[in-house]
Amino acid sequence: MKGHETGNRQEKADNNSAKNEVDNSELVNISEMNDKELAEFLKKNAISLKLNEARKIVELIGRNPTITELHIFNIQWSEHSSYKSSKNSLKLLPTTGPTVILGPKEDAGILKLDDEYGIVISHESHNHPSQVVPYEGAATGIGGNVRDVLCMGAKVIGGADPLRFGDALSESKSVSNRTKYIASQVINGIATYGNAIGVPVIAGDIYMNSSFNDNCLVNVVHIGLIKNNEIIHSCAPENSVGYDVIVIGKPTDNSGFGGAAFASLILDEKDKENNRGAVQVPDPFLKNVLMRASYKVFEAARKAKVSLGFKDCGAGGIMCATSELGASGDVGIELNLDDFPVSMQNLPSYVIACSETQERFCWIAPKNFTQKILDIYNKEFELPNVAEGACAKVIGKVIAEKRYRLLFNGKTVCNADIHAITEGIRYNRESKAPDEHKEDKKGNNNNKQNKTSEPELIDTADFNSPLLDVLKLPQIASKYTVYEHYDNTVQANTIIRCGEADAGLIAPLPGKKYGVALKVDSNPRYNRVNPYHGAVNAIAEVMRNIAAVGATPIGLTDCLNYGNPEKPEQFWQFLEGIRGLSDGAKNIWVKGTTNAVPFVSGNVSFYNESANGKSIDPSPIVACVGRMEDYSKAITMKIKKIGSGLYLVGPRKNELGGSAYYELFDELGTNLPKTDFAQERNMIYGVIDAINQRLLFACHDISDGGLMVAVTEMILGGKGEGKIGASLLLNDDLKTSALLFSESSGFVMEIEDKNFAAAEKAFARYDVDLIKIGETGGDYLIVNHNDNEVINLDIAALKDAWMNGFGDAMK
Amino acid sequence: MANKRPKIAVIWFPGQNCEDESKLVCEFAGMKADIIVVNSSVDPKILEQYDGFFIGGGWSYEDRIRAGAIAAKDPIMLKIKEEAKKGKVVLGVCNGAQILVETGIIPGLRDKVQLALAPNTNPKVFGYYNTWVYVKHECKKTNAFNLAGIDEVLHIPVAHGEGRFTTTDKELIKQLIKNEQILFRYCDEDGNIDEKYPINPNGAVYNIAGITNKEGNVLAIMPHPERASWNKQLPYFEQHNFEENEKAAPCMKLFESIRMYLEKRMK
Repeated sequence: MKGHETGNRQEKADNNSAKNEVDNSELVNISEMNDKELAEFLKKNAISLKLNEARKIVELIGRNPTITELHIFNIQWSEHSSYKSSKNSLKLLPTTGPTVILGPKEDAGILKLDDEYGIVISHESHNHPSQVVPYEGAATGIGGNVRDVLCMGAKVIGGADPLRFGDALSESKSVSNRTKYIASQVINGIATYGNAIGVPVIAGDIYMNSSFNDNCLVNVVHIGLIKNNEIIHSCAPENSVGYDVIVIGKPTDNSGFGGAAFASLILDEKDKENNRGAVQVPDPFLKNVLMRASYKVFEAARKAKVSLGFKDCGAGGIMCATSELGASGDVGIELNLDDFPVSMQNLPSYVIACSETQERFCWIAPKNFTQKILDIYNKEFELPNVAEGACAKVIGKVIAEKRYRLLFNGKTVCNADIHAITEGIRYNRESKAPDEHKEDKKGNNNNKQNKTSEPELIDTADFNSPLLDVLKLPQIASKYTVYEHYDNTVQANTIIRCGEADAGLIAPLPGKKYGVALKVDSNPRYNRVNPYHGAVNAIAEVMRNIAAVGATPIGLTDCLNYGNPEKPEQFWQFLEGIRGLSDGAKNIWVKGTTNAVPFVSGNVSFYNESANGKSIDPSPIVACVGRMEDYSKAITMKIKKIGSGLYLVGPRKNELGGSAYYELFDELGTNLPKTDFAQERNMIYGVIDAINQRLLFACHDISDGGLMVAVTEMILGGKGEGKIGASLLLNDDLKTSALLFSESSGFVMEIEDKNFAAAEKAFARYDVDLIKIGETGGDYLIVNHNDNEVINLDIAALKDAWMNGFGDAMK
Repeated sequence: MANKRPKIAVIWFPGQNCEDESKLVCEFAGMKADIIVVNSSVDPKILEQYDGFFIGGGWSYEDRIRAGAIAAKDPIMLKIKEEAKKGKVVLGVCNGAQILVETGIIPGLRDKVQLALAPNTNPKVFGYYNTWVYVKHECKKTNAFNLAGIDEVLHIPVAHGEGRFTTTDKELIKQLIKNEQILFRYCDEDGNIDEKYPINPNGAVYNIAGITNKEGNVLAIMPHPERASWNKQLPYFEQHNFEENEKAAPCMKLFESIRMYLEKRMK
């Protein structure tokens, strides 16, 4: 399915009456219905278009629509497909620069690895389906996202799964049981589908809190490898009139009909049963075979030097895929619905055209290459023997008239201007800052009485138990039991696995030096405090994570998960989020340039709210791709040697707002980590240089849980196997709790004495000071603050809390 | 011809997913490799031109009925069984191992299925489990897989849901030990055998990770040697240069041994 675009195009629909003919018996007489009659008609037919939208269709196509056309516009004008509320605002995001091969125009974006190779990336959500049927919802989320990468002509080489669930530790048994059920089913769905198709999971995160009780988030990111001169576009090729339209994969049924419209509704527990039908049925086995067969078609097309169009069938099914293929090539499409492979009899025309049956793609191919494509899928990879009714089949052709025409039982059931179908609609939604966020003309917030307050907590004498309690929090504790459920070594190119470092790393070209890093981020609590700074922090953190393994951030994607855009205060959160993402990306430049790190792909998911109208924590989840010239220079976070120095960059500040430490006291606070862009850039560049000069043994960014969690994770390593402890001597005027747990941005690094001078120089180039905070060794973590011992814990105690926290929450 | 390289057929049954890296590791070890896409029109006779067969990981035919059960009945497997009798090498990794067990070619003492690969018993991670483990090589008898010499303890990943070697025939394990058919057993970093998780990641009887046939030319192994055959793949292989990273890791010796064995056989 197509990601959000930031461009803008408006063309006048071509309604020349001679071309506009359809079968009269199919027409819906909207122009003669009064509002009441129209509302009843729409409701009866499960069409969620507003009255004015339905009337707008008549105006747009120059006559009453057929029932098929009405269903088509219903899907195309849903929030999910048209980005009608978000499109105008998304233009704020930077999308260009020297690292961009293909920006957010097609199913996935492409970043430049070098002159020869590119990295394809796509980012999607499957939130509502996963809340209703978590296993299938998550699995089809993987399936859909993989198709977006594949259909660019790429080999899919890695994935990441950012997940947000409700409160597993809730005192309400029904909430905690449901949360645990959804979480385990989602994880299982991701594993079953992702493992079967053979794509390694190299990154991901999980947060749990009550804002997600009624609406979990399942976001999915995949990356692919492609040669820059072998990109296959989601577009009918030049001079393609007369080319065949071929559908491949599973035969069409009624599953997922209206899925795009469903994604744009608020979930109501009562409607759960009715909504199940809108969720698609996954078939990872068929997808495995389709992927490999498609790789063969790519190869055959290269050899034959044939230009093809290729697009996955996601939201809106074959209708959406083929109309976009045609419209983006500025040609028309004519399909015969009677030729579609179907697995159910007597399906209505609009269901055949728009059902979201999984595991399907559409090709546009010259007639003399069609047989080759059919043979690869039907004979060599034997689709008909892989799944009942699966096949590749010609279903129509490219036509010169720019019409989208569907024939069914000898009737013309759709015949509209193809651009009118794909153009969509726009809304300028109203936005309103909630009172506590209103600022005066100088930008100061004077509404002290409305503001969530900063708690006044008194520091305890020692911080042993607060540290252990923070380590046990589900979002902080190790997720190794989840990562070990995913295949992260298939394809045999994984260099750094999930959990071993801040980002995952693969070397996708055997025998070549390139490394590709991937990470996802967004902290729900920061976004609850302030949706602007929450978004800025997501960008800063994801880039720090990429830098911490030694890679340079070259591109971003976003999945913007927000509440109801029709509610001004929730739409305001969305706009603040975009502003934050944009400022972050524009100010933390691609290393060596002053160019923003560009967004090349993205997705918007609205209506993430509970039945009582409360929005989820705003969640601008971002993914970042990093490039390494030489993967062998990459490092993990685990401490490697006894007797090394531990160094900090990024001074600690009193920024406990939204922190994990405050969560222990059920507080949120207000003092969020504020990103100083110049310092953020300098720290990131310094870390990248130091790692690439091989001056660091280990590196970890400071984020959730602050300095103490960062150091503990360096001691424990990815799976709690670490055996080397650390002693820290911290001299600082900050109060101890802020020093230990404030989530102000920064890095902790392990540096051997002999490398210190060179490391200091690498950072001095960017005016960054290395602050020595301690040494490695022992089997404990000891921390002294201004000569007072504030922490003294064995590695075993740290390990027990961190390794079991997540599992205990899920019990 | 002295420089003629042995030819391996990497068999791909629908649903398998390790074919590219399986081909690559064979080539790196000095052999030729082709991926054979299995479909109903493939003539099993084409396998006669190959010296060895590598059946890799994944979910052949969606693991319907049981992991490996459908592929085991494929005419291709009947042919591979025949070819193995001639002394050609057969390596089954993960799903490939499950298929070899389902055909009975492993352990191959009688003409029937004698072993099974049952669902993992793992107290922490239910179902599919992907992690790094250690296996111990304690077979003194030379076979096609240890000709190149092999480290006593190997670091290697497992990635499966049904990897627990098991049998109802109590005498069978004794027989396998006696025949020196048990090539690899799960152990700790120092080579000590412990039957419990996490040392034994799936609960396999006698900590079995890999079994050969009696003749020593067929191996069914649950862990993935092709994912531990280059230094870069090993966890925490840091502070080394690129050349060092690209060099063979200890598991590559398994593939070098196959090449040496086949070269000898071809003479």
